[in-house]
Amino acid sequence: MEKLTAQRRNIAKKPAKASKEKSGRRWFGFFWRLFLLLTGVGLGLLTPWTLYLNHQVTTEFEGRKWDLPSRVYARSLELYPGLTISPVDLETELKAAGYRKTDQTPKPGSYQVSGRQFEIHRRAFRFAEGEESARHLKLRLDSGVIGALSDADSGNSIDLLRMEPAEIASIYPLHQEDRSLVRLEDAPPLLVMGLQAVEDRNFKTHPGLDFRGIARAAFANLRAGKTVQGGSTLTQQLVKNYFLNDDRTLIRKLNEAIMAVSLEWHYDKAEILEAYLNEVYLGQQGSLSIHGFGRASTFYFGQPLERLEPQHIALLVGMVRGASMYNPRRNPERALQRRNLVLGMFAETGILTEAEAEQAASQPLDVTAEPQSGHARYNAFIELVRDHLAQVYREEDLKTEGLRIFTTLSPSEQEKAQRAVTDGLKQLQEAGLPPELQGAMVLADVSSGEIRALVGDRYPGREGFNRALRARRQIGSVIKPLVYLLALEYPASFNLLTLIEDEPVVLRQADGSNWSPQNYDNRSHGTISLLDALANSYNQATVQLGLKVGVKQLLLKLEQLGISTDVMPVPSVFLGAVELTPLEVTQIYQSLAAGGYSVPLRAVTAVQTQQGGELVRYPLRLMPQPNREAIGVLNYALTQVVERGTAKALPGLLGSEIAIAGKTGTTNDKRDSWFVGYTRDRIGVAWVGRDDNQPARVTGSNAAMRVWARLFRELPLEPVDLRMPDGAYWLWVDAVESAVTDENCPGAGQVPFVSGSEPERVSTCLAALNEKDDKSFWKKWAGRKD
Amino acid sequence: MKNSIACISLKLLRLSALLSLLFLAACAARQPPPPPPGATQSPAEQDRTVQEKVREPAQQQRGGVQVFPLQNPAVKALLKQAEEAETAGDYNAAAVSIERALRIQPRDPELLQRMAEIQLHNKDYQQALNFASRSYDSGPRVGELCNRNWRTMSVAQAALGDSRSANKAEVRANDCNNQPPQSY
Repeated sequence: MEKLTAQRRNIAKKPAKASKEKSGRRWFGFFWRLFLLLTGVGLGLLTPWTLYLNHQVTTEFEGRKWDLPSRVYARSLELYPGLTISPVDLETELKAAGYRKTDQTPKPGSYQVSGRQFEIHRRAFRFAEGEESARHLKLRLDSGVIGALSDADSGNSIDLLRMEPAEIASIYPLHQEDRSLVRLEDAPPLLVMGLQAVEDRNFKTHPGLDFRGIARAAFANLRAGKTVQGGSTLTQQLVKNYFLNDDRTLIRKLNEAIMAVSLEWHYDKAEILEAYLNEVYLGQQGSLSIHGFGRASTFYFGQPLERLEPQHIALLVGMVRGASMYNPRRNPERALQRRNLVLGMFAETGILTEAEAEQAASQPLDVTAEPQSGHARYNAFIELVRDHLAQVYREEDLKTEGLRIFTTLSPSEQEKAQRAVTDGLKQLQEAGLPPELQGAMVLADVSSGEIRALVGDRYPGREGFNRALRARRQIGSVIKPLVYLLALEYPASFNLLTLIEDEPVVLRQADGSNWSPQNYDNRSHGTISLLDALANSYNQATVQLGLKVGVKQLLLKLEQLGISTDVMPVPSVFLGAVELTPLEVTQIYQSLAAGGYSVPLRAVTAVQTQQGGELVRYPLRLMPQPNREAIGVLNYALTQVVERGTAKALPGLLGSEIAIAGKTGTTNDKRDSWFVGYTRDRIGVAWVGRDDNQPARVTGSNAAMRVWARLFRELPLEPVDLRMPDGAYWLWVDAVESAVTDENCPGAGQVPFVSGSEPERVSTCLAALNEKDDKSFWKKWAGRKD
Repeated sequence: MKNSIACISLKLLRLSALLSLLFLAACAARQPPPPPPGATQSPAEQDRTVQEKVREPAQQQRGGVQVFPLQNPAVKALLKQAEEAETAGDYNAAAVSIERALRIQPRDPELLQRMAEIQLHNKDYQQALNFASRSYDSGPRVGELCNRNWRTMSVAQAALGDSRSANKAEVRANDCNNQPPQSY
């Protein structure tokens, strides 16, 4: 200090030689002092600032845990000889799973069609039950049935092979980022080396900043007259992605530099590179940003990263510089140029040979159509999946833990169901029904209760009110079969031929007013059988029968079938004054369709962790109903609804005469139209009506049944299983006489009966035959005695 | 040489262990009580339940009408997978394979009965009962499979504490080989 003062004094005391020199020195002194001051202040500020940035960057990096969206998968398509599937459906399934059609030998994730022959290269996939490797297979379709299935490489025939399921949705974190994690050791070497070759050649050695790189970039940019290279290291780019905005200010550059050096100081190169691979921004899909090479690979190529070829890797590496500028879908020309430039750099640095790079550069871009735009079509089903998961998981975990959710959806059936609703309603509108009509559809597997398709809106992919799950509407006549089921549970009193009265009925209601239901045709039909009353959906007969079995019993039956309502036990319930959703109606009828072996409807079959550990599985569990013999008999009665009752137009609409069970439903003032129908393996419920619940001029058969038929005529149809369970059996009867008869008697028909409910009477024809038989028997007996 | 010595000593060790066990058993005044239903048993012990109480008696009584539903190769392949898993004592994996097969042939009575037997292994007696009942409803209702259906139901009902139904089911099992198939 003393020395410095002395010096200063010295300087001050020095006699001036010339005024110019003097003033120059003074200026120098001023600047020198200013410099020292600023350095002091700078250091004083910079040190805590650096420490602060250092702290920030290390905490962020230390605690880095990427939020991984959960992936939702459709059911796996099982391929086996004998499977019924049309070529169109097979292609729909393949496309839903992100397969590309090609005219060369297919690589994993693509397929080729020539005539009836399909050649498919299935990708490797970790199924709920374990990993399966890629398979190259051939199959032949003989009029909609798989005739032969074999391994394309070995030629050996295959008994069974499942396709990997289509990814039908991802459940994203709040900040709308989509990524799939990649570990450094799993990343293709070409990607790891290529990235350094293009973006940061001195990555291995620099301390976070690369001055040689900056100089090289500056020189290159100068020569080109525009920015062609950036001098940012991978570390700087990572820091920028993490914390900083895109401002090109000096302060930001300074911060970036400090943080980069700090990051390098604390972590090794491998950690930084791995973070980079998963963090880098590589595209946008709507509001969703695509981060990391793992996701980008499936987003652009429909392939996992390890399956990419050099030209694909080069494209992704090239896109680091500008994901939107080099977007291969929007700017294919620019993207191709950039990709080939990158391939050139790969060759220049020796990570590809010249020949390899040239070969790669001659390939097309190969990008798939934007894959997840298709996701919207599964919105309604996904809502059901979310409803289910919400009972088990926190929303937060679904959005961040990268769960793998396996579901029951069939992409091809979903597409058909949506088309049936959309086109069906359009046609109804053209035929003069109100334009406000809306619709919903549920399609499920009868025996397993697995939901195959769900439509909640006539407009495909529209988000919002999901009618299949949320529209609670009166179900009208759809409830009637349960009234008849209750009657059939009393074999001593009722069978399908038991006669009841279809006559006006007047009932006093709780508010003192009278209720007297009318039939649809405003007529009463007198004495008729249970079977005819149900087939024709007569209201008065049903109420008469209902009063015998009891409305409380009916509500109890609903509960047994898995539906809880808080509806008052009033007689109007017999005619369906109960509000249920299409999904709930499906649950009720699943029990009937499966012969009384109820299963809770399922949309989710298993949930796994990101690493493939099983979190939960929802196995098939049967919950048998009591009195299954009555259900067996009822199933037959419901086929008669289609054969000769309110749904008799159905076979014509379907173009098929096979046995189908069904029930129409219409509510007061034609507000709701319902149709429930099932074959052996599929149950479908269709609803049509207006959202504001105003009269819509719809009936069960003029609207919902038509929509239902549009779907089912596109599905393989198997007749309803009419084999009676233990405790019920078929008899030849004369329906007019309500009597047991012989097969060969006129008017004989087969009707099932619960044991103990058989008609006691014998038809006149059978009586005559018996008499003859008796005689011949006695004759024989007498003869034998001789 | 060294190996054979080790082998002999191992044998001796086993022998002495066996002897001491016998000795202990002789000391015990009475046998330990049988495990209550639902108690954990080793897979080997469980194997015997299904083998001894369902499959073997059903096989012994077989004869007369036998009905073998045709199975497609895909279902056969899955059935084989299930059998392998069952042999390895992995009943969950076996159930998964059977469920996969049931997606292909939902009403196959053999598959449904297999599932019932797996549930018996898993001590899920209610599900064993349900699957066996469904197998009977969609099956031939005569012969060996019918026999297995009712024997499974019997074992399950006994385990659920319903001995009356269990006895009835056993009678039905014995009837499987006598009565002709019900008309339907």
